[in-house]
Amino acid sequence: MGLVTEKLPPMIEAFPGGPAVLTSIDAVINWARSNSLWPLTFGTSCCAIEVMMATGASNHDLARFGAEVARPSPRQADLLVIAGTIVKRMAPRLKTLYEQMAEPKYVIATGACAISGGPFIYESYSTIRGAHEIIPVDVYVPGCPPRPEAFFYGLLTLQKMIREGETIRKPGERRKPVLAALPPGITLEQIRAEMIQTLEQKAVVNLNG
Amino acid sequence: MDSAELQVVVGALHSSLTFREKSDRLSVVVPSDQLLSVAMKLRDSEPLSFDMLCAHTAIDWLKDEKIELIYQLYSTKHGHHLMMSVYVSRTEAVAVPSLHTVWQIAQWQEREVYDLFGICYSGHPDLRRILLEDDWKGFPLLKDYKDDFMLERPW
Repeated sequence: MGLVTEKLPPMIEAFPGGPAVLTSIDAVINWARSNSLWPLTFGTSCCAIEVMMATGASNHDLARFGAEVARPSPRQADLLVIAGTIVKRMAPRLKTLYEQMAEPKYVIATGACAISGGPFIYESYSTIRGAHEIIPVDVYVPGCPPRPEAFFYGLLTLQKMIREGETIRKPGERRKPVLAALPPGITLEQIRAEMIQTLEQKAVVNLNG
Repeated sequence: MDSAELQVVVGALHSSLTFREKSDRLSVVVPSDQLLSVAMKLRDSEPLSFDMLCAHTAIDWLKDEKIELIYQLYSTKHGHHLMMSVYVSRTEAVAVPSLHTVWQIAQWQEREVYDLFGICYSGHPDLRRILLEDDWKGFPLLKDYKDDFMLERPW
């Protein structure tokens, strides 16, 4: 891709009508990239059952979105799905895997553990609190573990991001991460307020009463 | 052999053994100074033949100031199970004999318990950390373990 991303854009832009051609090339490249996301087989806990096996099986069929070619080598993969808890011993290996992947590379963090540490966030000696502490994450898919449908929504969100966000004029620059599977009309603040309310109601135990 | 028959045979091995009630399999408590000889008899006596150590783990009873070592035994010959536990003091260092001479796999399982609970086994040939980094300080599965990385529970 070095030739395409570095030499081609200034050459084409110099011609009359060049920018329009370049935009069309962008559209083709992004369409190709978004429809052939090859995921890396990287599952550290229970989310991998959902994301790797349930989605890949015939019932949900990941192949509909062109992302079923799971690669065991990071050199051949475009998409790193962090499916599960990341612990201290795993963190350097995860970083190595991410660095070994060829550009352009995308990261989806699925499940509570990969987003924030999940049930192991407090009083854990080993769990990393969120994959974003190790590598940049493009899309988060909440759930514990997420349903295959939720993962598909995350994947489609990533495809949308790739189609709209990137241009070969500025390779590597992307839109900001989005929170997938958030129902329309509901904001993050509303969910936070509701969670605080629920926690206060249910998680506080009165030992004297 | 079912649980009641097993209790009679195991109880005859040594006078200091006590049995727990209300357990899904026979559960025997062994004093730590008798551990090695009892384990040897459990393996070698023909009606018992516990030739497999399925699991070795520990529980930290912080309030009682004790650590309970648990050995899950299984006989591939007769197909019966036994849970053997040993109580050691949490505060004073008591030497627990290593059982690697009885069951070879105990060598790695004891390394894991040493790694996470800090139990020092006497006679273990290679007692060093197995899961955590070599320069780790403290034993993280003890109930009073704290370090800088840990996040305190806010409630």
